[in-house]
Amino acid sequence: MSLRGLVKRFDTTVAVASLDLDVPAGSFYGLLGPNGAGKTTTLSMAVGLLRPDAGQARVLGYDVWADPARAKRLLGVLPDGVRMFDRLSGAELLAYHGLLRGMDPVTVDQRSGELLDVLELGTGNRTLVVDYSAGMKKKIGLACALLHAPRLLVLDEPFEAVDPVSAALIRDILQRYVAGGGTVVFSSHVMAVVERLCTHVAIMAEGVIRLRGTLGSVRGKRSLEDVFVQVVGGRIATGSELAWL
Amino acid sequence: MTFVRLKLRLIANGLRGQAWRVVLFVIGLLFGVGFAVAGYAVFAVPGLLGDVRVAGALIPLGGAAIVLGWLFLPLVFFGVDESLDPARFALLPLRRGTLILGMLAASLAGVPAIATLIATLGTVDATARLGGPLAAAAQLLGVVLGLLVCAAVSRAVTSAFATALRSRRARDLATILLAVVAALLGPIQLLALAGAQRADWDRVADVAAVVSWTPLGAPYAMGLDVIAGRAWAVPIKLATVMATLAALLWWWSATLERAMLGAATAARPSAIRRGTPVAQLVLPFLPRNRFGALVSREARYWWRETRRRASLITFSVVGIFLPVMMAVTGGGAGPLLLFVGALAAVGLSNQFGYEGSAYAANVVAGVPGRSELHARVAGYALYVTPLLIAIAVVVGAVTGRPGVIPSLLGVLVAAFGTGLAAVLPISVRGAYALPDTTNPFALSSGGGLAKGLMSFGALLAAVVGTIPIQVAGHLLGPAWLWAGFPIGVAYGAAAFVLGSRLAANWLDRRMPELLAAVTPR
Repeated sequence: MSLRGLVKRFDTTVAVASLDLDVPAGSFYGLLGPNGAGKTTTLSMAVGLLRPDAGQARVLGYDVWADPARAKRLLGVLPDGVRMFDRLSGAELLAYHGLLRGMDPVTVDQRSGELLDVLELGTGNRTLVVDYSAGMKKKIGLACALLHAPRLLVLDEPFEAVDPVSAALIRDILQRYVAGGGTVVFSSHVMAVVERLCTHVAIMAEGVIRLRGTLGSVRGKRSLEDVFVQVVGGRIATGSELAWL
Repeated sequence: MTFVRLKLRLIANGLRGQAWRVVLFVIGLLFGVGFAVAGYAVFAVPGLLGDVRVAGALIPLGGAAIVLGWLFLPLVFFGVDESLDPARFALLPLRRGTLILGMLAASLAGVPAIATLIATLGTVDATARLGGPLAAAAQLLGVVLGLLVCAAVSRAVTSAFATALRSRRARDLATILLAVVAALLGPIQLLALAGAQRADWDRVADVAAVVSWTPLGAPYAMGLDVIAGRAWAVPIKLATVMATLAALLWWWSATLERAMLGAATAARPSAIRRGTPVAQLVLPFLPRNRFGALVSREARYWWRETRRRASLITFSVVGIFLPVMMAVTGGGAGPLLLFVGALAAVGLSNQFGYEGSAYAANVVAGVPGRSELHARVAGYALYVTPLLIAIAVVVGAVTGRPGVIPSLLGVLVAAFGTGLAAVLPISVRGAYALPDTTNPFALSSGGGLAKGLMSFGALLAAVVGTIPIQVAGHLLGPAWLWAGFPIGVAYGAAAFVLGSRLAANWLDRRMPELLAAVTPR
């Protein structure tokens, strides 16, 4: 995935300011940033959910905005803060996504069954997704993104509100996916997960990328958290102000 | 006061930057002004005529109608203004009394409240002309209290409902029940009107006299009592109104506490169903491909999503009762059927808003605009087609002329198709977000009146667009009986093809913009 000069303004605030990002194929790329840094906006523009004011987004060589059909076929997306068609049951939702992608019904059935089984969502479970817990919603969302075996997975906050057991399961699935030749881009502000999973990281703040590279080159000898706080420029210690605490 | 400022600030922020919202708000404002002026005029007429009897009937009944309107309209059509949702104040250290008074004050600072106040001030005008300053003063007091009752009743009832319905299942069920009741209101009103036309003045006056003693009419009858020399009745009515107000506020505050606690999600036992995922999703008679999946999802949503199901129920009641009423009272059902057919199409006017940001799934998958729209219409038609047939059959049977059924159906289909032609482009360009809330009655977050106008515009366009069919019906005379069905269907289909082609082109170019429009903020 390569992003060139992406710009997005909302009214007067600039959410993303001329952002360039290259994600090498086969990498496990972590996009870090504090809340409001523009992570979700960037990823939304990269997958065709939000039209950029300027710039270009290419996925495996296809321009997302000029040739959306080709690009979208290779993409799997798990958006954050976006509802799913949650009045369907988990199985129905998977079947919907599969058929929407033009997959053969037999394959859809087989893969959905496996995904529901592996993610422990219950193959015969008729509970509507609207009644799922937050962690289950993330898992079914991930299953929907994986179903058509995309070459690039774009995940927005995949570990938010997920319990440790499910998080471990999701980590395992993603690692297998990358080992099989897939590329993953995900946003997060959980340093521990990023440190454990990623081959590459980029740190974003106020709509621009402040630091990028392989995990080793970004981190150096320090912990990722220290680097992150320093790059973003937040204060990490209090002075005399909160003496009344 | 802070609450009022908050509300005004919310309205102002909602308008900032978006021209179409300003336009809609202004149109809503104009409707409010229209209601205020018309109401004032109607209520003031008895004063100008100098007719105490007319005043005695009109003012309490009209006032009661306004209170009932405040009770039902927010529930049914526009949704209560969510901009001051009590749950948002749950964590602030506010006493409940402060909260109640503040929210009451805030709900008075809106177009509907001000329009109501101006309209009912017409009664003060009338009583001043009929009974002098003393009567006017009593009436003025009544009008102000009446407005408070209106605001309190609408807030209390919605709050109570919202709390009782925190569990999703109970909520879904209640929305449906309410939709049935609300949809039946219209027919009941028509019956009452038909009855009123036959009844003589004395009967109406009797009804008005009774109503003026109920909390509904009491606030608006005080001035009349002064005129009639029953000044002793004023304190009693005052007490009635104050007691009502106190009871409403108490009830509201009792339910508010639970409303502030927010939704408690209860897990429900899940049934085991056999069948593969695809078999579970796709309806048996549909192809197992993208189109089949889209249509099946739409069909399930019309049933499972309460706002959609409620609108289906409202339509089916209105669609059957209106023409039957007209047929029974001797009027021609033909023009009304055009309206009903178009009304069916209006159900889709904010079709993308119903699912909100879930539409992202279709954007990511890159569903072409044509498949998207055709599938949505097909899913809706699964429910509407049987209804249209039922309407044609019922109307034909009631009028005792079964021979006209095919041509009636032709008219309905033509109106439905034309309606779709008008509604589909609107559903793409004029989509707006419905709030993502646990309140089943919430349809809008402020400025709801204005949004409803868009559907109204579509309805108007559809009715105008079907005029040729009406003309053809008149010109062909008896031949219309057999030609009506094929002509109507062909006309409707042609209109649908044109409209959906335009809408599909727009949709293909505007998918991300549409997604942004329907995503609640």
